[in-house]
Amino acid sequence: MTTENIIFKHRNDRTGRRSQRWVFALIFLLLYTMSSPVMAVQANTRTIRGHVTDQDGNALPGVSVSLENSTRGTTTDAKGNYALTVSNTKGTLVFSFIGYTTRRVVIGGRTTLNVSLTQKVSALNQLVVVGYGTQKKSDLTGAIASITSKDFNKGVAPSLDGLIQGKAAGVRVVQNSNEPGGGISVDIRGASSINAGTGPLYVIDGLPLDNSVPIGATGQSFVATRTPRNPLASLNPADIASIEVLKDASATAIYGARGANGVVLITTKSGKTGSLSVSYDGYVGFQSPAHTLDVLTAKQYSSVLNDIIADGGGSASEKVTGIEDGGTDWQEAVFKTGARVQNHNLAFQGGNGKTSYRVSLNYFDQDGIVMNTSFKRYNARFNLRSHISDKFTVGVHFNSSYDINNYVPVGFGINENAGVLYAAFNFDPTLAIRDSAGSYQRSPYITIDNPVALAEGKRGVQNSYRTLGTIFGEYRIIPGLVAKLNLGGNVTNSRKDVYISRFTNDGAAAGGIATILTSVNSNYLAEATLNYSKTFGVHHINILGGATTQKFIDNNSNATGRNYVSDVTFTNAIGTGDPTLNDIGSDKSSHRLISFIGRVNYNLLDKYLLTATLRADGSSRFGENRKFGYFPSLAGAWKIDKEPFMKNQSVFSSLKIRASWGRTGNQSIGNYHSLITYTRGPDAVIGEQPATTQEPARLANPGLIWETTEQTDIGIDFGLWEGRLSGTMDYYRKHTFNMLVDLPIPTSTGFNTKLSNVGSIRNEGWELTLNSVNLDGAFKWSTSVNLATLKNRVLNIGGIPPIITGGAGVTPQIAIIEPGRTLRSYYGYQVTGVWQQGDDYSKTKDGVVPGDLKYKDVNGDSTVNAADRVILGNSFPKLTWGLSNTFGYKNFQLDIFIMGVQGVSMLNNNLVDTYFPVNFRRNKFAKPYLNRWTPENPSDKYPSFVTPLDQGQKLVNSYTVQDASYLRLQTVRLSYTFPHIRKIIRSATLYITGQNLLTFTKYQGMDPAVNTNGDAGFNIDYNAYPASITTMIGVNVNF
Amino acid sequence: MKNRCLYIVGMCSLLLFAGCEKQLQEQPYSQLVPGNFITSVSGITAVLYAAYAQEGELSGQKAVKGCIATQEWCTDLMWETSGSDNRIASQIIDFTWDASTPWFFSMLWAPPYAAIADANDVLDNIGNLKDATDAQKEGLTAEARFIRAISYEHLYSWFGPVPLRKSTSDTLQLTRATDDEMKAFIASELLAVIPELPDPGKEAAYGRANKGAAMGFLCKFYLNTRQWQKSADVAKQIMDLDYYQLFPDYEQLFHVENERNKEFMWVRQASNLGPGNVWMSSVYPPGFKEDPRTGQKLIGQNFGAQYRLLDGFYDSFDPKDTRQNLILTSYINTQGKLISLLNKDNTRSFKYWPDPNNQNNQGGNDIPELRYADILLARAEALNELNGPNAESIDLINKIRERAGLSDIALADFPSKEALRDHVLAERGWEFYSEGLRREDLLRMGKFIPGAVARGKNAKPFQKLFPIPLQAMDSNPELVQNTGY
Repeated sequence: MTTENIIFKHRNDRTGRRSQRWVFALIFLLLYTMSSPVMAVQANTRTIRGHVTDQDGNALPGVSVSLENSTRGTTTDAKGNYALTVSNTKGTLVFSFIGYTTRRVVIGGRTTLNVSLTQKVSALNQLVVVGYGTQKKSDLTGAIASITSKDFNKGVAPSLDGLIQGKAAGVRVVQNSNEPGGGISVDIRGASSINAGTGPLYVIDGLPLDNSVPIGATGQSFVATRTPRNPLASLNPADIASIEVLKDASATAIYGARGANGVVLITTKSGKTGSLSVSYDGYVGFQSPAHTLDVLTAKQYSSVLNDIIADGGGSASEKVTGIEDGGTDWQEAVFKTGARVQNHNLAFQGGNGKTSYRVSLNYFDQDGIVMNTSFKRYNARFNLRSHISDKFTVGVHFNSSYDINNYVPVGFGINENAGVLYAAFNFDPTLAIRDSAGSYQRSPYITIDNPVALAEGKRGVQNSYRTLGTIFGEYRIIPGLVAKLNLGGNVTNSRKDVYISRFTNDGAAAGGIATILTSVNSNYLAEATLNYSKTFGVHHINILGGATTQKFIDNNSNATGRNYVSDVTFTNAIGTGDPTLNDIGSDKSSHRLISFIGRVNYNLLDKYLLTATLRADGSSRFGENRKFGYFPSLAGAWKIDKEPFMKNQSVFSSLKIRASWGRTGNQSIGNYHSLITYTRGPDAVIGEQPATTQEPARLANPGLIWETTEQTDIGIDFGLWEGRLSGTMDYYRKHTFNMLVDLPIPTSTGFNTKLSNVGSIRNEGWELTLNSVNLDGAFKWSTSVNLATLKNRVLNIGGIPPIITGGAGVTPQIAIIEPGRTLRSYYGYQVTGVWQQGDDYSKTKDGVVPGDLKYKDVNGDSTVNAADRVILGNSFPKLTWGLSNTFGYKNFQLDIFIMGVQGVSMLNNNLVDTYFPVNFRRNKFAKPYLNRWTPENPSDKYPSFVTPLDQGQKLVNSYTVQDASYLRLQTVRLSYTFPHIRKIIRSATLYITGQNLLTFTKYQGMDPAVNTNGDAGFNIDYNAYPASITTMIGVNVNF
Repeated sequence: MKNRCLYIVGMCSLLLFAGCEKQLQEQPYSQLVPGNFITSVSGITAVLYAAYAQEGELSGQKAVKGCIATQEWCTDLMWETSGSDNRIASQIIDFTWDASTPWFFSMLWAPPYAAIADANDVLDNIGNLKDATDAQKEGLTAEARFIRAISYEHLYSWFGPVPLRKSTSDTLQLTRATDDEMKAFIASELLAVIPELPDPGKEAAYGRANKGAAMGFLCKFYLNTRQWQKSADVAKQIMDLDYYQLFPDYEQLFHVENERNKEFMWVRQASNLGPGNVWMSSVYPPGFKEDPRTGQKLIGQNFGAQYRLLDGFYDSFDPKDTRQNLILTSYINTQGKLISLLNKDNTRSFKYWPDPNNQNNQGGNDIPELRYADILLARAEALNELNGPNAESIDLINKIRERAGLSDIALADFPSKEALRDHVLAERGWEFYSEGLRREDLLRMGKFIPGAVARGKNAKPFQKLFPIPLQAMDSNPELVQNTGY
């Protein structure tokens, strides 16, 4: 293979940073291994031929091809081919085409030069999707992060929210569970609610999505989970062209009562006019646990536990007497290595001059790294747009998917209610998996079931069918005035089957338990908008007005049966159990929004921009006389670069400052809070028979309204050196008031709380995004980095005393909600060391002995009790960042993505179980026990564990609340694009990707990046499903 | 084309948004609204049943944890280790509880008040019934007042006088009643409903209120408030009903198949189909497989929590006393080893003997709140307090002892009122362990705090009452905390 000369352009290396030295090293290594001597030059007249394509391999007609420093030139024909006669083959050919980056290629003696041109990232002219429309990026007045498919995360991302993890400043994407298709929570610019939802609104092709979990329940005797699988995983990420995250009020206020937590607009790929083009991409990967909890081995367990008994802990009857069959590493027993993941996409697109279409099919199949867990998806999408006449356009976006989730119980359940992972961490390592009779082995000392029995015997499968889409018609009434009608809907039909086999303890007690849970979640959307756009001299206006309504209907039912003749029927004969033990239920609810929207964009001289929006949102969830809320916003921007005084400088190619203010609401509080209704009370037993009862459901609050968030944002957008370096910086302050707080009311009313609009909370922070083209010669290097800071403060909770909240396993009262503090700050005891022999014990009334943990006596009253609790951190990272680097050389491309968070804490609740074991004969984290205090090893860090519970259970403390900052090498992808291979294949790219390769953290739990509590504003790590290291190989082919 | 499209768009918009306020009315498909629901007997009975269920506290394991265990962990009968219950239990055992101890709110404060709120809802709506006879209305009213009265009786025992909410329309924040108001209300309500309630055995369904239950609660209320004569009198009236009798076999009395007997006067009704009695799961020792004495095997789950009896109590049984047959002293574990539980404060009360049809750890064993044996001993105690040792008291006590297979006691054995009082206390321990009566028995006899101090606890006199839970204090500025907390 010959090579092109490498043209280094050093004019803009300013963003190269010292800390990236290793990146340079990598580049040079690549260069060294790939370069080969330039071939000798021939001096004849030659005709050079070739084929010019775009980056996707599509032929580019009309490309200008010229010999540098000469008048010779031609253009490519309709098939993208050219032929140019040159006097010698020494020179350089220049390929240029409007909208594409000009490319210079040294002929280097070749007669065939196939070239692909990349589209200019002329960010400023890029159209950005905004609420109910699009706008030129340069005309934006709001804070919007736009991420296009080429910048999406390159690893395995079963769902679309995973695509933007670490990619947008101020958008915190946290994996709740590393299960296949596991839940993800997204917080945009902090969290601004205590009792209402904090997740953003997702809008796909104009359809606001119902992102609720269709079936939250897990089934009888199956651990409840705080991290249900991700409803967004039913959509194929490969269909997505771009994701716009609307952050400030100017952008979100048009979504009114659903805008307060930010809005994520998802635009799917549309067809391109032209002959049929077919593309396939697919990968296969293998996953293995990235980390396992470092618990005691069988040998360590027996020696440490016996030592503790010898020191007076436990009891003699709990002595470890032997190790069966070498013991069992229970994590190894339930984890899998090399679990396969595969993904296949096939897309067809094309169209004539008036109609374009895109059809895509997807098959995604991911095995979990815990046995018997998996996620599988089949997805089909059809997008069509047709200009029926020059005035009338219709289109359709249609998506249908079928997905299959396989579960084993994972969750916060403990002891006899434990799931597989809790059991694997805690189960006795000296036992074999099965006893001599072949039955699952159980420990006589603890009530936890055998981990393998749980994984094999408690199984759930959920089948979901989801169809969603929109149909729209656009009619241009007069030039500039367009009416649009958009109709949409979504039906998700799910069924979860759970069976508890009789070889588990629970199954044995009941003779097998079958549960079937079903749900039909549906919603429909109807909206009509009018858009008027007109230029009057130096004035340009765009006016949008419209009305929209969406109704959501949820239907659920459940059935449980027990005591079956055999386990083989699973849930398929649910009625054949003991009929007296059957249990059924159903529920239906609905809510509705009716809204009116308006927006005016005004542009003066293409320098001064003004945007005003208003939404009137009516929600059925709010009180009788408070049905409608009004959400205004106002924003202005000044394109400084268009001013005359900027003409004579060459540094800034663009410069814009923006400011916005507005109000948005949060209505995600559940239905019926403003109504007096009766609902099912606790079951009574009357006349020996269970009887259902009815109780007033709530102390209704007919004045209930939405939470209001008032947000101010100041931002600057800039481009330097013709856009080589571009960026955005924002400062925002979000003040949420009328926050819904469950105010305690006298229980004598029959109710404990009343949801009331009394609280307020503030989030503020800085966001910075930088994109830099460091090198754009033959060797290409671009960097993009984003950073966000966050400061969250609770301002008011309605005058009630601090709320101490949160629970996990045996740990209660984890965090505090108190004015002046960050929402849900960890609240517990400060460990200062270990009581030593010879310490002054007269200072304490707590009856401590040497080897006990020493807690800080904050108020100095010689006893450590609840009054000595202090703030131990919080769940909001001070800094969140992502760094992407892309290197290109010839047909190779290397993408490296690193991300991290700084200044965030997490409660490691498995570590709580180590320091405060529920009982003696459990496995524990190895390090504290192997280095425990003994008179011979007077550790000042680890206690003796002889009487770990004797000081009361100070479970939330500075040991168990840990720093969860991390830096992670999230993806590394090396790809090779084959040049124009044959006629059939326009282009092909082969790649290998490594995902989650390295993590730097002080955190001692399973994964600092996961939050099993399922709420990005409150981190609790308990029984976490392990993260995986994934290596995969894939290919993209365009036909 | 142009006009047609405009027309379509316009019409659609109009249709969609016509009458939007009406469109925004919520439709609670799965919940009942007051207007059409609470006006029928079946509707109001469903609310009354909620009051029964709240009083019984069976859902959410509250009866076992709050109404039994919490009432005995702070006494000479029982203690606890392990499990998530230990966090609460250790505070109760060590007298280190405070207003933030969560169970005071969730198990002792909230459920009775929920029962009271449901009862008030019944009482406030009884006039709206469209399909009820006057007799039906009177019956339902008496039942609701009965549940409300005994719920206040529970609250009074745990917290002292509390706010007396008598209607759902009372102001939100009420002050605590005075001690006299509280006592007068409970007694007068029970007295008022006794004539209205059906005779025992004549109630519409087993477990609904009857005359005997109301009299029993009144008797115990008088006893606990040291109104000895009144207590003795009501006890006599109950005996004169000639309905109740002691079940012949103490050991069998608590087996699920023997409930609905003439000794249980008021029970927290349980069903294996839920809500049920979860006692057993917390008393099985670790790795329990089988009781060597009876061959009883593990049924349901074995929880992490370990409810254990104190040796001081277990060892006080007369060896002949059959009542100790419901206590496990050794067991065979899952590895086949015989483990002794003796002399380690580790015997287990198997009082609510495993229900063979246990489901989800729930047995159907009803939990007695009031037994005829309690009434007999109440009269014995009250007469002793009034007159000192006397023949009738001795006879009443001997009825209890005879059933337990014990020899009679004699009047001559008790030289003083105090001596007989002490015996009554001991007898009540053997008779009523694991029934949640110990705390109030000790309190009544002035032994609650001294007993705890004798066990080495740092118990203070003010701890005779539990603190008003923090959440209740926070919700009502009118509430004054119990002295000492």
